[in-house]
Amino acid sequence: MPTDAIPAVADGFLTLEGVRYRFPGDPADTVAGVDWAVPRGAIHCLLGRSGCGKTTLLKLAAGLLAPDAGAVRIAGAILHGPSPRVGFVFQAPTLLDWLSALDNVLLPVSLRRRPTAADRAAARDLLAAMGLGDLLERRPAALSGGQQSRVALARALIGAPDLLLLDEPFAALDALTREELQDDLLRLCASRGTAALFVTHDIAEAVTLGDRVGVMAAGRLVHEAAVPLPRPRPAGIRYEPVFGAACRALRQIMDGPAPSVGRAA
Amino acid sequence: MRTRLASALLLAGLLAAWEAWCRSGAVSPLVLPAPSAVADTLWGEIATGRLWPHLRVTVTEMALGLLAGTVLGLGAGILLAEWPALHRVLRPYVLASQLVPKLALGPLLILWFGFGLTPTVVITALICFFPLLENTLTGLEQVDPGKRELFRMLGASRGQTLLRLKLPSALPVILAGFRVAIVLALVGAVVGEFVGGRQGLGASIIAAQSVMDSSLIVALFVVITAVGTVVYEAARGLETLILRRYARG
Repeated sequence: MPTDAIPAVADGFLTLEGVRYRFPGDPADTVAGVDWAVPRGAIHCLLGRSGCGKTTLLKLAAGLLAPDAGAVRIAGAILHGPSPRVGFVFQAPTLLDWLSALDNVLLPVSLRRRPTAADRAAARDLLAAMGLGDLLERRPAALSGGQQSRVALARALIGAPDLLLLDEPFAALDALTREELQDDLLRLCASRGTAALFVTHDIAEAVTLGDRVGVMAAGRLVHEAAVPLPRPRPAGIRYEPVFGAACRALRQIMDGPAPSVGRAA
Repeated sequence: MRTRLASALLLAGLLAAWEAWCRSGAVSPLVLPAPSAVADTLWGEIATGRLWPHLRVTVTEMALGLLAGTVLGLGAGILLAEWPALHRVLRPYVLASQLVPKLALGPLLILWFGFGLTPTVVITALICFFPLLENTLTGLEQVDPGKRELFRMLGASRGQTLLRLKLPSALPVILAGFRVAIVLALVGAVVGEFVGGRQGLGASIIAAQSVMDSSLIVALFVVITAVGTVVYEAARGLETLILRRYARG
């Protein structure tokens, strides 16, 4: 196995080293030995079909699951459980129905201590940065799907984490809203220097967001490559030929007889 | 509004038919008293003040039984939901305790506590216990796994997860159980008095039966129904108030 395929391991903020996981009672490993590293401030995407193990890998990275073998490290230290330096955005917004948008964003803070005026101001700024400045007191039921996803994103960012883990957070949204949220995410991560590991089954989403994209199949990483697009992404990049070419290349890898080929750098 | 009018008209019609039937002499007033006789009796009970001590006793039994049953049912529900192993061990006993007809416990409870308030309160509490327990358990176990994972990710303690996620999420289901319990509490208090009461609306029914005063029995039905309606509506109002704070929207 060519170790130079993962040049970022040495300086990674989040590193996965030979991580394996099998659900109790399953015949095969759901995550079958994955090495990966996300450096500080970088955005990496994991692409794969449903059931390829990418969500499980993300939960291992979050410390929500403990690997059977291998290690997950955050800033060099082995992770033993969820870390306050890591924010997680789930597939569903998972907002608390009985709290306002503002209080939902403040939830991570209020579980540790009584929120201060500064915390409230930070939450207000985050929501305002996502265009929800007028909806602070709305309950989730009175928000659209896109607005709920924005509140969930703001909640993950309120503790100023070094790393965001995102599990197909925009998959249920319409195409236009999804693009707006992708742009919001890129802008917020860039301005705060937040690294991100973004799991998706949408090739265009992976190309839009990622500095690097890894392709997963059957619990293994079958391919990884840098995305040949400038950062920050220019407006309208989604309609450029170079964007389409990058998508097509990934699509061919996902279609190919990947697992037998092994990892291609 | 139209449906309320229709309901009222239906009631008036039924009462008129009942009154007419009784006045026709086809049925003995001992078997079925006329509505006018019932109204007279009821008014007499109210005017002489004979009704109030009984009403007070029954409402007290109901309130104490409901309180004890709710606290115990809610507490046991939380305990069993938080410790599933305990739940598996105790499940058959909880079920058995509910399958025992609680009125059949009456004579035993009278042996233990004597006649009066206590055995009825105990019966009422036992009856109210089960809907609270079942609904608390169901509500706490139905909490969205995604939100539990969120709380784990945020490093929430077990107590925080219970107080700030599970109980608020389960509140609509728990309150529905409370609404069932409140109706059962009245039944428990009245029927409990049949067995061991000296005072109260149920005990008054037994006393009226012994002197064959059927119009007093029906008058007491009216009072019991009125108490039930008031308490049920109060519970609904409380529920709406709490859910406005906690439910979606």
